[in-house]
Amino acid sequence: MPENGKISIRQFTILVMIVTIGDSILILPNVSTSFAKQDTWISGIIALLVGLIAVYIFSVLGNLYPKLTFILSIQKILGKWFGTLMAALFLIFPLITVVEYTRELGDFITTEMMAETPILAIQILFICIVIFAVRLGLEVIARTGEIFLPCIILLFLLMVVFLIPQAEFEKLLPILENGIKPVIHGSFSFIAFPFLELVVFLMIIPYINQPKLIRKGFLQGALLGGIVLIILVAMCVLVLGADETARTIYPSYSLARRINIGQFLERVEAMVALLWMLTIFMKCTFYYYVFNLGLAQLLKLKGYRMLTLPAGLLVIVLSPIISPNITYYNKLLAEYWPYFVATCCLLFPLLLLGVYFIKNRFKRSTET
Amino acid sequence: MKRMGLLLCICILLAISVTGCWSRRELNDLAIAVGLGIDKVGDKYNISVQVVEPSEVAGNKSSGVAPVTMYQATANSLLEALRKMTTISPRKIYIAHLRIVVISEALAREGIGNALDFMSRDPEARNDFYVVVAKDAKAIDTLKILTNLEKVPAVRLFSSLDTSEKQWAPTMAVKLDKLISDLVSEGRQPVLTGLRVIGDPKIGETKKNVESILSPADLQYSGLAVFKSDKLIGWLSDEEGKAYNYINNNVSSTAGSVNCPKGGKVTFRIIRSDSKVKGSMRNERPQIDIEVKTEAHLAEVQCTLDLTKPETITTLQKLAEQKLIDMIDTTIARVQQDYKVDIFGFGEAIRRSNPKAWKTLKNNWDHTFTNISVNVKAQYKIQQLGKVSDSFLEKMKEQNGVR
Repeated sequence: MPENGKISIRQFTILVMIVTIGDSILILPNVSTSFAKQDTWISGIIALLVGLIAVYIFSVLGNLYPKLTFILSIQKILGKWFGTLMAALFLIFPLITVVEYTRELGDFITTEMMAETPILAIQILFICIVIFAVRLGLEVIARTGEIFLPCIILLFLLMVVFLIPQAEFEKLLPILENGIKPVIHGSFSFIAFPFLELVVFLMIIPYINQPKLIRKGFLQGALLGGIVLIILVAMCVLVLGADETARTIYPSYSLARRINIGQFLERVEAMVALLWMLTIFMKCTFYYYVFNLGLAQLLKLKGYRMLTLPAGLLVIVLSPIISPNITYYNKLLAEYWPYFVATCCLLFPLLLLGVYFIKNRFKRSTET
Repeated sequence: MKRMGLLLCICILLAISVTGCWSRRELNDLAIAVGLGIDKVGDKYNISVQVVEPSEVAGNKSSGVAPVTMYQATANSLLEALRKMTTISPRKIYIAHLRIVVISEALAREGIGNALDFMSRDPEARNDFYVVVAKDAKAIDTLKILTNLEKVPAVRLFSSLDTSEKQWAPTMAVKLDKLISDLVSEGRQPVLTGLRVIGDPKIGETKKNVESILSPADLQYSGLAVFKSDKLIGWLSDEEGKAYNYINNNVSSTAGSVNCPKGGKVTFRIIRSDSKVKGSMRNERPQIDIEVKTEAHLAEVQCTLDLTKPETITTLQKLAEQKLIDMIDTTIARVQQDYKVDIFGFGEAIRRSNPKAWKTLKNNWDHTFTNISVNVKAQYKIQQLGKVSDSFLEKMKEQNGVR
């Protein structure tokens, strides 16, 4: 086993929650609102329900082989050769997501804060910290989550409380202006970005010290994270309005810029930006860890640590390749990413479950 | 030893890379712009910025130089003009601390949309400045006037608009994001407050303006500019501006007077006001209901009134209600007849209450708006009389009568 650490169920829940918030806090309001307009919060509620069902399916899948990581259980279910192939294909998903997050963070910082800094400089620094964290192992990542959580919650609450004076409930009206269709469309990305991407948690199922509580922790974490995101998109619409939220590339940052309490508590957006720096860092680190661990298990290596540096180079090189400019990237996010995620994270696990049950029934019928 | 060396290397590398000095800008390399004026010359924009003179604003000593300085440049776009200013200015113009953006009336009549994109796109610009229109003047001329009480004219313009909106009500402090959301909204057209130069602008541009007690020239907000899409089409008077703000629930405090039953005037101090605009469809026709609830204190009596009787208060409330309703009605009628654009957001109100009907209405909304029936209700509550009950005028007149 390349990983020897164990984490508690509390740490697992916190990790799930932070990863659910992840990069969605930065990009989701814009993508979802551009479809659902002022009804994004309804999209959010639909997404939360669907997302919890998806998480339940993941936990069922995780229960099949509680001693094995996802990559190993794929091989177990689909057989040696086909399983290895599919596991290798699946590993592309965490890799691309890590590339996406570094790109997102770089894009965000160069658009809003440091326009003249080369994006590469930011990305290299970021990936260095991620590599550092991943090399320290799962236990350290989980503990980092525990330490960051109060900070994340505090910043989020501050942002929401400070913006309440500017919230206008009229901006939520009319409800369901164009029927339910755009709301459903808006919920696609809301389901995909935070919830479906949680499938990678199946990689750490064997390292949790209370296997019986996994399902509860998984659902709890996703629920808490989902509530945070619904409050966030609702705040975006309440304060900025649906139109501006859909037009702004990073609505959360515009939201933070709006904070102005009595003409003295203002210009605190850089402090609030720390909130999503932390969540993106945690999400990125976790995915990067999953990628390295998965690759190590696939290649039957003794440890995954020697993979972290070369994989980091891969991420840096891939990040300008996945999209030439921000327009392309936003289109990719809004129109293709949800379907890519749905394929990797929903269809694939369902396929695995299907194969597992058919195989079992077949076995039982041959036995009797 | 090897480990120590490696650690040292990492530390040095980190120290170099994480200090964040990449695109650093020192305070003394920046020209902090507080006011920005946009004029149009032919096809090009003439941009003027009011930049703070740091040595004049900091501390208490002043060496007699103007507290701000101005740079201007003409170019195809705003950013080009701002960058072109470096040919005159020793420092780069930094617009994160903008307080006010003045658009000239001429440009506003041509359309303001194109000029605003830069402001909403540039990450340096924050959306916390006010946008106003220079009435009968070039934007640059309004930014040249020196002011008293607030040394920096742009800051003074900002605070003055802020205060007058809160205490006097006919003006409207519009920030960029509100302006843009009105511009893109189908059911509401934007308005901006007008800014004009009063007195002698020639003296206003010199230090003399702040040396005398009564400034020979000053800047005053007056009227609301009515826009159709992004083009200015006319002005509302102060009274109409007040009605506009009553309708839009934008009155926090103001003063207003009504005629007494037996002649003379009585004035109220409006403490708070709350209004609701409701749109609905009645017999296939859009209908707007406006309800204004106002709480006022009696502030000034210039007529004979028996304020010891509760009935007097009731009469006064009725009078004030009627006046408010008349004011709102005439303003709406004027906008419907003269400008034919929905600045009140009635379309938005219809959209909020009946999105289905709005889908067909919106195509011809400007026309529908001119004939829309508006039902105004007002509720005035007079609660306090100030320090005295009956006015001394009463007693004075009695005695005069005896003598």
